[in-house]
Amino acid sequence: MNKEVKRMARVLIAMCLLFVSLIVYLSYFQVFTAPNIKDNSFNKRLWIDEENILRGMILDRNGKTLAYSEKTEDSTIRHYNYGSLYSHIIGYSYRDYGKSGLELTYNNELLNLKESTTLKEISKIIKPDGEGNNIKLTLDHELQEIARNSLKGKKGSIVVMNPQNGEIYAMISQPDFDPNTMKQNWQSIVENPDSPFLNRATSGLYAPGSTFKVVTAVAGLENPNVSKSYDCKGSFTVEGYTLEDYGGKAHGKIGLEEALVKSCNSYFAQLGLQVGRQELGGVCERFMMNKDIPFDLPVKTSKFAHGEELKKTDIAASSIGQGKTLVTPLNMAMVASAIANEGNMVKPILVKEILSPKGHLIRLNDTETISQVTDPLIANQVKNMMVEVVKRGTGTNASIGNIRVAGKTGTAENPTGKSHAWFIGFAPADEPKIAISVILESDGTTGGKTAAPIARQIMIEGLNRIK
Amino acid sequence: MFKKLISYRVPRNLLVLIDIIALLLLFAHSTDELDKFTLITGIVLIFIIYVSNFILLKISSGDHYIFLIVTMLLKLGIIMIYRLNPKLGARQVVWVSGGILIFFISYIIVKKFKKWDRLTLFYGLGSVALFLITLVFGKTIGGARNWIKFGSFGFQPSEIIKIAFIFFIASFYTNEKKFDKNGKSGYRLLIAVYVFIGFLFLQKDLGGALLFYLIFLVIQYVYEKDRKLILYNILLASIGAIVSYFLFDHVKIRVETWIDPWRYVDNKGYQITQSLFAIANGGFFGTGIGLGHPDFIPEVHTDFIFPAICEEMGIFTGIAIMMLFLILVYRGFKIAFSQSDKFFRIVAFGISVMFGFQTFIIFGGVIKMIPLTGITVPFISYGGSSMISSFIALGILQVASEELHVEEVEEHE
Repeated sequence: MNKEVKRMARVLIAMCLLFVSLIVYLSYFQVFTAPNIKDNSFNKRLWIDEENILRGMILDRNGKTLAYSEKTEDSTIRHYNYGSLYSHIIGYSYRDYGKSGLELTYNNELLNLKESTTLKEISKIIKPDGEGNNIKLTLDHELQEIARNSLKGKKGSIVVMNPQNGEIYAMISQPDFDPNTMKQNWQSIVENPDSPFLNRATSGLYAPGSTFKVVTAVAGLENPNVSKSYDCKGSFTVEGYTLEDYGGKAHGKIGLEEALVKSCNSYFAQLGLQVGRQELGGVCERFMMNKDIPFDLPVKTSKFAHGEELKKTDIAASSIGQGKTLVTPLNMAMVASAIANEGNMVKPILVKEILSPKGHLIRLNDTETISQVTDPLIANQVKNMMVEVVKRGTGTNASIGNIRVAGKTGTAENPTGKSHAWFIGFAPADEPKIAISVILESDGTTGGKTAAPIARQIMIEGLNRIK
Repeated sequence: MFKKLISYRVPRNLLVLIDIIALLLLFAHSTDELDKFTLITGIVLIFIIYVSNFILLKISSGDHYIFLIVTMLLKLGIIMIYRLNPKLGARQVVWVSGGILIFFISYIIVKKFKKWDRLTLFYGLGSVALFLITLVFGKTIGGARNWIKFGSFGFQPSEIIKIAFIFFIASFYTNEKKFDKNGKSGYRLLIAVYVFIGFLFLQKDLGGALLFYLIFLVIQYVYEKDRKLILYNILLASIGAIVSYFLFDHVKIRVETWIDPWRYVDNKGYQITQSLFAIANGGFFGTGIGLGHPDFIPEVHTDFIFPAICEEMGIFTGIAIMMLFLILVYRGFKIAFSQSDKFFRIVAFGISVMFGFQTFIIFGGVIKMIPLTGITVPFISYGGSSMISSFIALGILQVASEELHVEEVEEHE
């Protein structure tokens, strides 16, 4: 073989490699990249279906229409009947601003899009005007409205749920925005320093404050070797760092129940230290902190630091819900639910049913236990302590005349300087039907004073309304 | 005879079968008033392709596969263009018919005329003249100033220059000894080639510039005796590429939209991202002809025909097209290997790498494997200039596939 032929052969090999690389790249693109880019809102194909199919309705648990689409001559308009009330749950669906909330998660169901096959595409061409499916939520419209009004325009969040089956009855995040007029007000919504687009219930991360003591109490009870008796001097010092009790008040010699009732910081700080970093971290993970909570809306992961580098002061602070611990209001409602439900934490559900345009049931979201946080015995012990909190402790403002209420208040210090007011709880204690978490963001008040009455009102309304 | 007419073993009969299937699909898709028209153009096309394959078999003793491959590619292009825009599709049928005619004409002319290797200067100066005309009278279409318009008829001189360019290099290396008086002739060629590339750059035809450069680089790699020159050539081009990235915005944009087109999804990255959406939506088997939305891609019928085919016929068809081009390139190389006439050997080699690189540049570009530079897909994209120049090149390749040396010997007698 002469030089010329040899070189040509090399060029041919190079050419083959180029084409093979094209084929490999194209296949790689189709398998790995394509599924991720298809849903980009700049892919106009997504909106073609939108124009042909009437987007489905969104209903509350009693069948009240919350959102629907209407065909006009040249386009379809999406109406959100209650304006800002469901801004974070239903979200919005606009061609230029994309989608959010359930409009995004349940887009395919609302448009009745399934895996596209040639046959279906052809039938679409023959009969282009389709109707999407309707989705029925677990929310109760009236309770949602009551919950929103109870915040009186303050920044904060409320999550109300059924502790046994996980159905969310109401979910509030304030401030909010009106998806109907979102386009016109876009700039002001985006620039608002209080971030109205943020769904505080699922994506707001807050220091849990004393409500976290429920978790620490579970960890303490799970370790029989840990001493449950302690002499409170009004403050607790670890490695030169002092944790004050509320108002510097000394609680004296107390046990776990008294400590929870009086929300004694010193007690829980030393309890947490006794339990230890790893044990406490394990309990937190069972409470779905540092874990992804499966939900119909995107949820931020609650954080509980338990790495090896953690200092004793950090553990002490974490044990009373301060320091590096951050939780979402949804997570805290689930904590209350788990205690109410004998230690079984169920998956929160927002969408109850998917119904065809003719009303046939297409899909039902079933209750699912996602975590066994502790055994029923310990859960019931903590429950009884929480009942005492509402009966005679910091949570008396949440008590309801003839019903036993369990709860825990929290006043969480945070970088804004003004504390968050927290309340988590459930009722009736003997047969829990409703669980709640309330947070007033940077309200500067205590949970027992401001958050507990709100929880009380909603629990009364909820127990009366939802059967 | 009759048996052969319907046998599936005869490739051109397979082509007719594919035509009929495609025609039925188009028939199902197109709107009512065009039905008759679709049918007629379709039948005319099937007839032309069948007959021309048949004629070629009779008149040429060379390679019969390259034309078969090309007719398969033509069909895919026409089906897609017709589906995108029936008017353009019908015109493409005209272009294809003209192209096939040009193929036979160029085949005959190239075969009859014997002094192709002695016109080095003519190729060089003729090309420069064409470039100058383009620069002066050129119209800007699709960002590149490389069109000349005669009334409503547009023409892209660089398509013709491409072939002249290969002839230029081929005749240079064939007559190397004649030019090589002081052993520095390679430098003169290098300068001449950079003049060509410079002109293309001035027209903002980056795809063309890249293609010319690559064709030159591989021919130089095979034939240049002064091996240092190849290194110089690569160095020079790399420096040129880096400098032009910083100097010229239109070069910078290509690189930026290649690295992250999603950042510019609503402006300069629009075209490439729409192309990616189309391919992504097609999946492996495609949506089916007429059931996708390739019309969302700007320039879809010319440079971006490939994503359109991928969307509606699936990336399996896309890969099949790549394979067809690879086979075409392979046949071209095979022709070069067995050609004893040096000039036609280099020309066959040059045309093969031209087809190869041209498809690589545009396919790689639209799937975002390499920066996107606009260039047509030979035999598939809509357009007369590209179609005609590709068919001229194919005609020349057809000539090169025959035993030419024997005839030359006869001539000398």
